Amino acid sequence: MNIPLSIMLFWPAVLGLLAAVLPRGLARFVELAGAFVPLAYVVVLVLDFDPAGGPQYVTDVPWIPELGVRYSLAIDGLNLWLVVLTTVLFAASALWIAFRPVHHSPRLFAFHFGIAETAVLGALFAQDLALFVLFFDLMLVPIYFLVGQWGEGDRVAATVKLVIYTLVGSLLMLAAAVATGVLVAQANDQPLSFAINDLIGNTLSPTTQNWLFLGFALAFLVKMPAFPFQGWMPDGYRAMPLPVLVFFSGVVSKVAVYGFLRIVLPILPDAALDFQMPLMILGVISILYGSAMAFTQTNTRLILGYSSMAQLGFIIIGIFSLTAEGAQGAILQAVNHGLVVAPVFFIIVLLAERAGGSEDIRDMGGLALRAPVLAGLFLIAAMATLAIPGSANFVGEFLILLGAFKSELVIAALAFVGVAMASVYMLRMFIRTMHNRTGPAVESRELGVRDAMVIVPLVLAILAFGLYPQRALEQSENSARASIRAVQERTGAGTQAAAKPSLTREGRTATASGETHP
Amino acid sequence: MDVTWYLVVSAAVFSIGMAGVLIRRNPLVILLCIELMLNAANLALIAFSRAHGNQEGQIFALIVMVVAACEVAVGLGLIVAIFRRKLPVDVDELRGLQG
Amino acid sequence: MNAILAATVKTPDIDWGALGPLIALTVGACVVLMTGLLRSPAARTNLVPALATLTLIVAGALAIGQWDSNADVLEEALRMDNLALAMTVLFCFAGVLTVALSLRDLAPRDAGHGEYYALLLVAVMGMVVLASAQNLVTVFLGFEVLSIPLYVLCATHLSSEGSLESGLKYLIIGSVGSACLLYGLALLYGATGATDFDAIAQAVGGGEIRGDVLFLSALALILTGLAFKASVAPFHQWTPDVYEGAPTPVTAFMAVATKAAALAIIVRLFDVAVVGAVDDWAPAMAALAVITMLVGNVGAIGQSSVKRMLAYSSVAQAGYMLVGVIVSTRLGVQALTFYLVAYVLMNMAAFAVIVARERETGLGDDISALRGLGAERPTLAWPITIAMLALAGFPATMGFWGKIYLIDAAVDNGWAWLGVAIVLGSSLSLVYYLRVVAAVWMPSLESSVAVAARPAGARPIMAGASPEADDVADTRAGAVPAGGDTPTASTARGTHEERTDADIGDGRDPSGRDRAADRDHVGRDHRHVHQPEVVLVAVACAAAVLLLGVFPDPLFDVARDVGEAFGNFD
Repeated sequence: MNIPLSIMLFWPAVLGLLAAVLPRGLARFVELAGAFVPLAYVVVLVLDFDPAGGPQYVTDVPWIPELGVRYSLAIDGLNLWLVVLTTVLFAASALWIAFRPVHHSPRLFAFHFGIAETAVLGALFAQDLALFVLFFDLMLVPIYFLVGQWGEGDRVAATVKLVIYTLVGSLLMLAAAVATGVLVAQANDQPLSFAINDLIGNTLSPTTQNWLFLGFALAFLVKMPAFPFQGWMPDGYRAMPLPVLVFFSGVVSKVAVYGFLRIVLPILPDAALDFQMPLMILGVISILYGSAMAFTQTNTRLILGYSSMAQLGFIIIGIFSLTAEGAQGAILQAVNHGLVVAPVFFIIVLLAERAGGSEDIRDMGGLALRAPVLAGLFLIAAMATLAIPGSANFVGEFLILLGAFKSELVIAALAFVGVAMASVYMLRMFIRTMHNRTGPAVESRELGVRDAMVIVPLVLAILAFGLYPQRALEQSENSARASIRAVQERTGAGTQAAAKPSLTREGRTATASGETHP
Repeated sequence: MDVTWYLVVSAAVFSIGMAGVLIRRNPLVILLCIELMLNAANLALIAFSRAHGNQEGQIFALIVMVVAACEVAVGLGLIVAIFRRKLPVDVDELRGLQG
Repeated sequence: MNAILAATVKTPDIDWGALGPLIALTVGACVVLMTGLLRSPAARTNLVPALATLTLIVAGALAIGQWDSNADVLEEALRMDNLALAMTVLFCFAGVLTVALSLRDLAPRDAGHGEYYALLLVAVMGMVVLASAQNLVTVFLGFEVLSIPLYVLCATHLSSEGSLESGLKYLIIGSVGSACLLYGLALLYGATGATDFDAIAQAVGGGEIRGDVLFLSALALILTGLAFKASVAPFHQWTPDVYEGAPTPVTAFMAVATKAAALAIIVRLFDVAVVGAVDDWAPAMAALAVITMLVGNVGAIGQSSVKRMLAYSSVAQAGYMLVGVIVSTRLGVQALTFYLVAYVLMNMAAFAVIVARERETGLGDDISALRGLGAERPTLAWPITIAMLALAGFPATMGFWGKIYLIDAAVDNGWAWLGVAIVLGSSLSLVYYLRVVAAVWMPSLESSVAVAARPAGARPIMAGASPEADDVADTRAGAVPAGGDTPTASTARGTHEERTDADIGDGRDPSGRDRAADRDHVGRDHRHVHQPEVVLVAVACAAAVLLLGVFPDPLFDVARDVGEAFGNFD
């Protein structure tokens, strides 16, 4: 079955545009339609996707022949589940906005919201380096407006800081991407092309690769954020309007993870090997720093922000273990984290409403008193971050640690500390908000039906994904292998990678993946 | 006579003009100095024209003269306009636009 | 007798068709000037701009008509190749937009409509000559024919001190620039013995004169002279002052068209005539380009006048575009052409919005005039937003592809570090571009910043709100002080009185003058000035920036055609 991805890609943007010109009252409903159609699309994709096949639903036409840029979209195991995550979170945010309309200019909000979804989906779909860079940079534009216009507190300063931080990285990536295309074309004596497949298997010297790697890595690490590029994060998280924060924290940072797997490892394998240790160390520092900060913060948003940083540090370790397990675990963990963080953010808003508008855990406490369902939902989400067996996080973290143990024992051991610390700060947040002494302005209330309509499905998704991760594992396995193949060819570790992750329901041999990615 | 001597004179005149533009305050004098620079170029052009034995340099010099006249006319017009507005005729005093 | 006539009338072979755009502009300028003498005010205010627009359109159409013909005209003094034709169309386009922006401006009223528009047409003609020059003589001629009308145009807003001051400043600095250029051209002639580009290229290609002091100083002086015109640092200091003081439509024209013309001749001189000595000049020019990016981007940060900010930003953009010259490949020329077109559209959109807000708010070109525009005037807010994002190089705009193309060209010929410089410069530029966008859409914070940035009582830049306009207002109220005026001042007053009367006679109330009276409460004084043409310019340019950002193919084709005109890269 061939499903045109372009419709899914541009649907949110087109409906966003429509919302901007239709009457005010319709904006949030058009916005809903803009977010739910891709969700329906993605259900079909997940059911239809062939785990044994390579890139599927390919759209590939020349766009700018002069620069060798192609309009090239496809779905494979690497991006499928991130696309699922994107559509789910955008749909949840749209639903949230439909129930709690924004303070002003709903039409403009719907417009930027739609562009944001299109940009994220575009970055995930893109099979052309220039197209990827384009969408990656484009993500910032709507976020800049959304935070600057509808944010809270010192929003303009925060959004300018956010955009400048991330765009400096992105612009360096732009230079690196152009340089990659040009240098590969010169090395192969071919016309300029940015198609990722044409760039794989290049013969760039390790020194050149290292320079290019720095450009890409900087962009991705800032976006995540990883230590020491987290400077924009606290202000940004505090200022973002909540529905934006949900998809920003849940999805946008994951595009950076995806960028490593899609672009950096296959195209710059020598550099990835050279930088394996530094990046794993960065990952460990991110875990330790993020956990420590999450433990000391009292603002609930920042607790989650720093816990995300720790989680992303974990994912970096998974990627740079340079094993198939690590890569697969990274994808799985990226999806998990997005799914978990979204309901928690929504719950924080509800908690703040019940605690006199404060998002500080010192003002909360005893909120569970008359709200057992809310407390239950929060507990499930919190437990899911702790990687207790049975949650999807368990599978993801297990794979990452497996990969890390294979390559660097010390790093894996240190990363394991992070898992332990996660339980501390998440439980601290749960206990301080839900139980403990009742805060000054706390008024415990059960969650309303409308809020439940947003949060319950998300929590159910966490449970479903945790109890049945096989489908995602199966579907991502081949692509994860393909992503690290180039690196493993450099180390000669290809044979070792043939060992299957133990959790896959039905194993697939490495040769099967070899056929799909010639 | 060697073309070098003409060049030396021309370069000297050009430098005097440049120095005048940089040092003097009065726009009228500055215009005069700009004329010096243009005419230094004319001298060089004609000297080269003789040295190379073709006429292109001379034609060039003629055109430069016309253009220089236009430039001075416009410059004087502006100075008169400023004078009529009672603005100081001194380039250092004209600093309304420094932000 | 007949024999003598026959002998003397033997004319050179002139390709009149190829000269079409130039002839159209010359004739148009004369006609416009004469029409400006008509007694009827309606004819002066309406017919003159209409004729000017018509002239520019005809010239542009004539240029498009001879695409790909590569005609040599006037004994190879000019060559109408695709670069010249593309630039001609670009200049005419910028000219038409400038006419639209000037329609309701005070400058044409002050200076006389005929003169104003005729000068504009002559300036366009000079640019066309410059962009098609194949000979040192035509280079200088074009350079001056473009510059002299612009000196006057800067000063056309006679009732504003800033305008006169900017005119004189531009004249002095421009003349120093042209004197340097001329001396350089003279030395180049001396070193090579030719004024023709092809002959110079041959002489340079021979290699004997490569290390010659004469030749190297010629290159240095020429580069200096052209750097003045293209406002390349460190020869850019005049730019912010002149841009700020000149009437905004003229600023817009200078910012886009002059820079395009200067870069066109830079690419012709350096990538054709002296390309053989590329190893001598490229490092120097690369250093200039990097300095220019740095100076422009750093200078623009912290400017509260949007015109000054755009002046510095145009300095930085000149730095980016120089990269296209430095790499001295066909790809570089193509990237430069693409970027120039993008640059014209982006800046025109921004300047149109500034013109509109100057007339609406009474805050001049201060950034506070843009505050809260997003909520009030979406038709102006979106164009300036798109222009700023495009100038910063955000994706889905022409600026994005322009930068990619330039980086592509730089990396392709081993100048990768210049590509990185472009990127770092763009990162710096985000600070001030995003500040404008923030002022437009997120007014809360910007209000305090803008107020702090401009001390109270600072002279508004806006036409008509200067102290001079006070005089005018007084004059109109019949409150001319009886004594104490020097004769000169009385004459000046008299002139203003006449002009004011003439304006009333025009049947139009120059809205700018009215504002002088109530400028004390200009803070949030928004009046809706009817100026559809300005809004149209802004919207059209912004739409083009977006549209050509998503479908840039046609422009890439044009750029490729232009690149093919450079036969020396084969």
